[in-house]
Amino acid sequence: MLSFSPLRFPRLLITTFLALIFGLTGCLEARRTPLEPQKNQSPGTSEISLDDLPPPPQVSPGPTALRRLTRAQYERALKATFGDEVVVPTVSEPDIPQAGLFSVGASSTTYSPRGVASLEEAAFAVAQQVVSVEALRARALPCELEGVVGEERSECVREALALNGLRLWRRPLSEEELNRLLTLSLNAVEVLGGALEGLSFGLAAMMQSPHFLYRVELASPNTGAEGERFEPYALASRLSFFLWDSPPDDELLEAAASGELSTQAGLKAQAERLMSSPKLKVGLEQLFIEKLKLYKLNTLRKDPLLFDHFSPELMRDAREETLRLIDYYVLERDADLRELITTRERFLTPRLAALYGVPAPTQEGFKRVTLPENSPRSGLLSHASLLNINAHPAASSATLRGHFVRTVMLCQEIPPPPAGVNTAIPEASGNTLTLRDRVAEHLENPSCAGCHKLLDPIGLALENYDAIGRWRERDNGALIDASGELDGVSFEDPLSLSQVLREHPEFTSCLVKSVARYATGRLSTDEEAPLLNDLNARFELLGYRLKPLLLELVLSPLFYNAGAPQ
Amino acid sequence: MIKLDPRSSLVSPLTSRLVSRRAALRGLLGGAAVTVGLPWLESLAPRGLKGNALQQARAQLTSSPKRFAMFFWGNGSQPEMWLPSGEGEGWSPSPLLEPLAHLRDDIAIVSGLEVKVGNLEAHISGPAGLFTGQQAMIKGGGDWTFKGPTIDQQLAALMGGDTLFRSLEVGVEPNMRGMSLNGPDSRNTPESDPLALYERLFGATFREPGEGTIDPKLALRQSALDAVMEDMRSLKGRLGSNDQARLDQHFTAVRDLELRLARLQEAPVAREACVKPAQPVEIPLLEGRVQIEERARVMADLSAVALACDLTRVLSFWYCDPLSNLLHPNATSGHHQLTHDEPGDQPQVTEIIMGAQRSLAYFIERLREIPEGESTLLDQCALLATTDVSEGKTHQIDEYPILIAGRAGGALKMGHHYRSPTKENASHVALSLTRALGVPAASYGLDEAFVDSGLSAVEA
Repeated sequence: MLSFSPLRFPRLLITTFLALIFGLTGCLEARRTPLEPQKNQSPGTSEISLDDLPPPPQVSPGPTALRRLTRAQYERALKATFGDEVVVPTVSEPDIPQAGLFSVGASSTTYSPRGVASLEEAAFAVAQQVVSVEALRARALPCELEGVVGEERSECVREALALNGLRLWRRPLSEEELNRLLTLSLNAVEVLGGALEGLSFGLAAMMQSPHFLYRVELASPNTGAEGERFEPYALASRLSFFLWDSPPDDELLEAAASGELSTQAGLKAQAERLMSSPKLKVGLEQLFIEKLKLYKLNTLRKDPLLFDHFSPELMRDAREETLRLIDYYVLERDADLRELITTRERFLTPRLAALYGVPAPTQEGFKRVTLPENSPRSGLLSHASLLNINAHPAASSATLRGHFVRTVMLCQEIPPPPAGVNTAIPEASGNTLTLRDRVAEHLENPSCAGCHKLLDPIGLALENYDAIGRWRERDNGALIDASGELDGVSFEDPLSLSQVLREHPEFTSCLVKSVARYATGRLSTDEEAPLLNDLNARFELLGYRLKPLLLELVLSPLFYNAGAPQ
Repeated sequence: MIKLDPRSSLVSPLTSRLVSRRAALRGLLGGAAVTVGLPWLESLAPRGLKGNALQQARAQLTSSPKRFAMFFWGNGSQPEMWLPSGEGEGWSPSPLLEPLAHLRDDIAIVSGLEVKVGNLEAHISGPAGLFTGQQAMIKGGGDWTFKGPTIDQQLAALMGGDTLFRSLEVGVEPNMRGMSLNGPDSRNTPESDPLALYERLFGATFREPGEGTIDPKLALRQSALDAVMEDMRSLKGRLGSNDQARLDQHFTAVRDLELRLARLQEAPVAREACVKPAQPVEIPLLEGRVQIEERARVMADLSAVALACDLTRVLSFWYCDPLSNLLHPNATSGHHQLTHDEPGDQPQVTEIIMGAQRSLAYFIERLREIPEGESTLLDQCALLATTDVSEGKTHQIDEYPILIAGRAGGALKMGHHYRSPTKENASHVALSLTRALGVPAASYGLDEAFVDSGLSAVEA
């Protein structure tokens, strides 16, 4: 028997908010009961529809900052400009996460000397390909450059710079900017002799410019306290990087030029167009790579002597398993996102099936399966990806796993351990065989207990999964006790922990918060709380479906209005 | 934060002009300024000297320049295993210092110091205090940055201007972050791939004296960077002050590259001990584990040659990161986890720290065997070796492990153990090293980390 009940959680936040708007507690009472069968509910079928909600409050948005392109965005931007065939060298400027997200870190990091040197190398490597590989050249050149001289040649170089500049800088270049690049290119033509080679210098300069390397999304100089709508090209970039993690396509730039993006209707139409594109998958996956810190899997290592299942290939499969499930629930099924936490559906490869101890559903590649009722796995918490990330190289960790659930799944803040405390835990021996026994000290020592009683019980519920995510009944020969409680709701095992997490009210508001952070590249300010509350209410009415939430976010001042820079 | 003495001028007339100009613009290094980078639009190279005159002046000044080197390992030491017995010249190595015993005349141990910034963030506050002279900027959730540049970058801004690379950051643990920062959120990620480091130092751009011709593309690449810097200038005025500071850091980095392109068009200065090394071979994983000491030796070889060839005068060597959970050879768990979970005297942790000390010893040996003038490369260096906490298990930052090597051209005294009787401020060491390198520093650090006197025990 599961010992949780969805009603035990106070649904205060949303309740209070809706009550403030409507003064209609009755509607809310009606909403309190059947949370389960809400999936695939479309807006308009519930008692309150989105249209009944007042428009998002107009409050002052937080400060806007330059956002450094992430490594992935850098590569996609160059491919979007020059063509998928272009080979983009790896740049030595790693993404630095803040609050777990690269997109937030990108608002405070800059470029180092080593990074700048490798950006220069990459820029010339790409420019060289563009002018020498025929397919790339055809796309980059709007005119004939070979065999022409004088004025005609200059004019063609200028046209090529303007065309590629628009794609690289995601806005038209000013006359002054264009002339600067033209002078550079023509000078190179003179020194080196070839017009194409000369052009490559102008292209390389554009790829090293701050207008390419940062997303320059600025408020206009006279921005007031309530913020001001981003200028259209900035909004185009925000939209495409949010939904595609890629720069705007020509049509979106056109929508910026024509003024379409300056209206809410135009913004909505473009957002809907972008969301119907296959590139939405790219953006969706990036959102969850950052939200769930799946990027950590790229460099993760485990003790190969203890874990002969472990391999970099297994970690690649594990990452993809999680992303495929998200793609399926969001893009194909447009389902209640909370189902990710409890579903028995999974995408498995033979390698993952072997790890999970179930029959391989396919000879190669991925196949979707539904694990049987008696399977000890359900939802994301039992995915090899998250279990591996939140464990040590040779052992599981109740603290890391509990910390992940608290900070990533519920967006709660856990202070770092105090300095000057002996943190050693006893070796497994005698009566202290399981990790639960060994970390008992955390819960007895008063300087540890404050935080560890929030962390360890959650992580201990996942102790049946070892450091690489295999199921085990025993640890050092002793039976594992996976029971515990999360914020007042008790559970017996990992399956019921997932049920409890699914119904935790902060789970969905944390998703909203993460998506907002990802979209805006910063933590929300206190003043923006009403905007987040508004999104929380919308998310609930939308049956916790992510796709429509993305659209609601785009149409929120949180997204389209700029705050004064800091 | 190094604060210069306004009354003195720098040893190098080439750099003193730079410093005075910067000082005029920034109100002295340190002060209220957050960064020690190049001032906006300002040029590093003196305008007066050109061509051969410039090269001669440079060669004269740099026949045997002083160098600053750092060796860092993460996750701390074990005070009881680290502390040598005996003080002064009559000291005997402790178990952890045993790998350095044969170098005892060329090293100095400083024990009993405390980093005075307050231990707010485990693994971070210690290096923040020692390397930047102030508390870290703590962002919550384990995210942090430093409020100012680390000591290697402060020194690079003062003494790194005449070489191809203003500074080099070399890593050993794969994919590491290091702790070299130019200022807040501006990190110099170490190069931890031996082949990539080799390519950077001794690849296509490396020229022996008298070898090769000047590539006309170098000047054009400079022009491309000029265009980039123009873009930065015009963008800057539209930004808030946070973004302006970020763009300043970026600008400094672009300017740094432009200067390198300029230097590559000059004839390289002949240096007797500069021999282009062979390309290193890749070091494979052994039973799925990083062979960290083997990697450290390759990186130390390349680092020593980089200093011998005067490719840089500021080099930081990062063995493993704070909080590194690398699975070391023969260990049963990750490094950081072991420091917390290994019971008893933590012999596995001891062995990992010992590996770092063996690597440090190897690096010092390489520096010592390279001749330079009448002495050795090591004698021209001031090398600071340290870690992020005194002991990983407890995160404390008193009893901070500090080892110094090299005489900085005779300014530092080696071959002894200084034990502080009063938990003196670790900033004293940073100030002594800074002054030993010829920088007329008045003080080091801010607030509780502030000192205006060095540690006389290590000063010759």
